[in-house]
Amino acid sequence: MIGQQLALIKREIWEHRSIYVTPIAIAVIVSLVSLAGMVTVSAFDTEVNMALFGASNIVGDAERRAALTVFFLGTSWVFLFALAILTTFYTLDCLYAERKDKSILFWRSLPITDAETVVSKLLTAIIVLPIVTVAAIIVTHLVNLVITTVWVMVKGGNAAHLIWGSVPLFDNWAAALIVTVASAVWMSPLIGWFLFVSAFTKRSPLLMAFMPLIIIPIIEWIFFRSKLFASAVFGRGEMIPLFLDMDFERFFDEERMKVNEELVSLLAHIDIGKFLLSPSVWAGIVVCGLFATAAIYVRRYRDES
Amino acid sequence: MNSLVTARGVSKRFGKIHAVDNVSFDIGKGRIMGLIGPNGAGKTTLLKALLGLTDCEGDLSVLGLNPFRQRKELMRNICFIADVAVLPRWIRVSQLLDFVESTHPNFSREKAEALLGNTKVNTRRDARVRELSKGMVTQLHLAIIAAIDARLLVLDEPTLGLDIIFRKEFYANLLSDYFDEERTILVTTHQVEEIENILTDIMFINEGRIILDASMESLGEDYVELLAAGEKADQARSIGPIAERDVFGKKIMLFEKPDRARLEALGELHTPSVADLFVAKVKGVAA
Repeated sequence: MIGQQLALIKREIWEHRSIYVTPIAIAVIVSLVSLAGMVTVSAFDTEVNMALFGASNIVGDAERRAALTVFFLGTSWVFLFALAILTTFYTLDCLYAERKDKSILFWRSLPITDAETVVSKLLTAIIVLPIVTVAAIIVTHLVNLVITTVWVMVKGGNAAHLIWGSVPLFDNWAAALIVTVASAVWMSPLIGWFLFVSAFTKRSPLLMAFMPLIIIPIIEWIFFRSKLFASAVFGRGEMIPLFLDMDFERFFDEERMKVNEELVSLLAHIDIGKFLLSPSVWAGIVVCGLFATAAIYVRRYRDES
Repeated sequence: MNSLVTARGVSKRFGKIHAVDNVSFDIGKGRIMGLIGPNGAGKTTLLKALLGLTDCEGDLSVLGLNPFRQRKELMRNICFIADVAVLPRWIRVSQLLDFVESTHPNFSREKAEALLGNTKVNTRRDARVRELSKGMVTQLHLAIIAAIDARLLVLDEPTLGLDIIFRKEFYANLLSDYFDEERTILVTTHQVEEIENILTDIMFINEGRIILDASMESLGEDYVELLAAGEKADQARSIGPIAERDVFGKKIMLFEKPDRARLEALGELHTPSVADLFVAKVKGVAA
């Protein structure tokens, strides 16, 4: 059972190479951009004094950690954005391509149920894609830290102290994994909808998936003057119940010009309990399940000739 | 009869069209059954019902299972090749073998490797299916199928689009690598001439109905072709042939359940080819 699921998921990665090619491409681009940035800075600013950065009375550990975390976050968002696009295209294609090239007849000649197949595609979208993305984020961070280390050392700074001594790597990575997987679960109604469209549409899944998402809000506005559907679908991304409210005054003490050390951690801003206890999360999972079930039925009952 | 497939009153409707219309038949163990019919006769629909790919009315049992409800169980013991195009084009040969090995409990990797060893695919394990020729894709598919210890093999136009050499080789390999008395083959094709010598049974289907269901041995007894000319041809016509055609000024007439002694006096007798019998039967129904 589990062995079969693993084989099915492996097949998804073989077929949809963009699952790993896209994160790798972004990792390379981000690393090149930061390398170019350092080269540019070095060319213009020959007088960077590392001793200044190292002096703890001006920039302390907490501030350096905060700065590195912000830098990490910046690169992570690029990956998250790419993941959203990748997930959309993957889920819209995975049940459509097999019908288009008729390989569905071969897959269905094997002792695998339609439910097992659709579940493997759902797991790929919600678990595998986020994990691959987080792996790419981790590699990018390490590559960038190595680049920065070299730069700092060239400038005569103590990289072991300035960079590696204060970088909150595991805090960042754990946060990236939680945020990425939680985002996929949070957006799972859309993932389910895309799988369903992918299973039933005869042509252009992208159009078929987004047309109702655009037309329904217009109809709702015309008849009811409300925006419930649009805010539920397009506003959902911003409403993820995962983060604690950020109190900026507590985070940054303006008088002392100091960052509150407890709050530099990304994990300190994440509340998994809040996420797991949120009815909206579970409602989303139910909607996703309904769409996935519909996709299974379409795959099973539709006559492909 | 030791029946693998039992159909009783099986029908499948699409709207008002009866794709399969109240069909009953049996397929026994160790047989090679040819299912022959013109385009749109209901062959593919019938095969789909047998494979559990589509629901149908009536009683249909394959290996004692309900194909639509117990599809996963059924697929452990059935293999099918629907058309050469169905192997996914993006997959590599080695990936395909890995995948089938990890998902099919009755698949023997050793056997598949041994069968591929004799083909041109052998040196192209890293190639994607789309990079292989049509003939090689068929060899690959057949090797995988033959390495699965299945009791029933269903072939729907397996050699479509292949050249004559590959087609001959395909059926030769099918007999040598796959077939034995424990296994059963159900095959549909338009190229009847190529398979009639390997069939043990034959079934004609037209407009959703079975118009002939017989063993190959019985065909020679039940049908005869008479080559006659002139007055003798007129006499023969009065006996009531089911079909008649002209060849070089002579008439060839096909008789069902013939009175051989009487016909022998009128001209040469032959066993009709399946293709001629098929044409006669289909036209006879239409007339």
